[in-house]
Amino acid sequence: MKVVTGVVGNDIHVVANRLIELSLNARGYEVFNLGVNTYLEEFFDAAVETGADVLMISSLNGEAEGWSREVKLLKAKYKHLDDIIMMIGGNLVVGTGNAEDIVPRYKNYGFDIVCHQVDLNTGLDMLETLIKDREIEARNK
Amino acid sequence: MTSPLNNVEHSDSEKNSATKASKEKLLIDVGSTYFKLSTANNLEQHFRDFNKDILADLMHKCGDTIDSFGKEDVHICSSANGGLTTLIIGITNTFSLKYATNIAFNSGINIIDTVLYQNIEDYSLPSDLIDVVIIVGGINSNGNVFSDSLYNYLAQLRYSNIVFVGNELDAPAIQENIANVEILPNIIDDRLHIVEQHLREYLTNLYQKDIEGKEDIKHLYDITSNQIFPTPYVVNKTLPLIDAKFSVVNPFILLDIGGATTDIHYSKDLVDDNLVTENEYDRLVFKKLGVYKSKQSLIFAAKSNEFVYELLMHLKVTENIFEEQTQKATKILMQLAIFLVLCKISHYKKAYINLKLLSINSIVLTGGITKVLTGDEIEDIISFFYKKILNSEHNPVTVLDSNYDIWTLGEQGKELCQ
Repeated sequence: MKVVTGVVGNDIHVVANRLIELSLNARGYEVFNLGVNTYLEEFFDAAVETGADVLMISSLNGEAEGWSREVKLLKAKYKHLDDIIMMIGGNLVVGTGNAEDIVPRYKNYGFDIVCHQVDLNTGLDMLETLIKDREIEARNK
Repeated sequence: MTSPLNNVEHSDSEKNSATKASKEKLLIDVGSTYFKLSTANNLEQHFRDFNKDILADLMHKCGDTIDSFGKEDVHICSSANGGLTTLIIGITNTFSLKYATNIAFNSGINIIDTVLYQNIEDYSLPSDLIDVVIIVGGINSNGNVFSDSLYNYLAQLRYSNIVFVGNELDAPAIQENIANVEILPNIIDDRLHIVEQHLREYLTNLYQKDIEGKEDIKHLYDITSNQIFPTPYVVNKTLPLIDAKFSVVNPFILLDIGGATTDIHYSKDLVDDNLVTENEYDRLVFKKLGVYKSKQSLIFAAKSNEFVYELLMHLKVTENIFEEQTQKATKILMQLAIFLVLCKISHYKKAYINLKLLSINSIVLTGGITKVLTGDEIEDIISFFYKKILNSEHNPVTVLDSNYDIWTLGEQGKELCQ
């Protein structure tokens, strides 16, 4: 399974980005790491070029929210990305906030999995659960 | 190169010293408006006579110089065949289209149109014959990217050459469905990085064949036994050597404002980009910003720019200057070309590439512009641009390549590589 990942916007938290790549590799994913300072269009374009199943955006400085508001609009311009799993994680607000408010807000922006200040392995477990659910759903169709 | 310009006579000793000449090289650049000849001691520049065949014109004006060199010592580069027209069909703007465009520009291609494959049915068909169509998209493990919509589009298109540089899985279907397609290795590797070599070689060879096929230029092989290279390709090879001739502080951009096009060569430090290449410098071209052959489109571009009238006021002229055929009008057009080019590569305009112009330490100018404008006139425009568009007092150093040292360096460098 192919995953495109990177840190969105003007965010240079490279260590977290590298840890995500290592953890995904360890779980058997084929990873395309766009690194830090990645713009939203690059994520989607990379998904098209690689045929990725998952688009995993990370953010630590909190600017993800500004970018995430554009996700639905931008994704709508792509004709073949309807089935891609959209995941975002890290620190998703500037300042403080609680997950009960943040998660639904980001889901409304177009993400399937939202991990605000969640441990990396827990987030990846959530991804695996969703992938399995989708497989079951596909088999039942 | 320190010798003076324009039709400098050879001394008798030089003319008579065939032995010496045979050890030297004669470098010739055939441009759309001028041609230039350079030897170790001499540089000549001549306005082209468009009623004559290029070789006849060249021999008429500098036959003595050319005759004093053997064919193996004559090296020619040219941009006078107009370049190849190219259409690139790719699946994303950020990777396939951008990578192929970058390779094409760096191979000396001037005219590039792009089609985003997912919207291919919405594009109107170009009416002119296209020299080369490039199809690209997908890493090698991502197949089934292209389908009938591509073949339907191509069936209606008129082109001379077609090359596929996309994913390996689609290559057999492409081969089966497109007649005479050349299949080359993917220009996108499995880490989404660019692979330039194969497409670059293909395009440079195609340019070479185009030159050989153009009546006017193929006669140039009567005076040289070496390959004729595209001029921009040669200039691009020079840039890493530029310190040898100028006090240029990195990062810099080089503006080559000529008769038909304006070329920009820039250090990679000036781009925040996902494009990781081995080149230190990349090139891009504005095909409609020349001051001779594309003068009308330059004026059109100027009139469409909201700051140009302010610039004309700053230069103390009115737009009536566009109708004039004077030396002053040429100067103003050159100044406008500098301003428009800077606008096009700044964040003021969203383009294929935007450069970090506030980080530039030097702006090097070459081409016909160095013969028309003084350093002060150029600096005036550059500081106007920085104040008006970027709201900055930043003032990069301007370097004028008045003796065409950049081209000479490139030709010599190219010759060393052979």
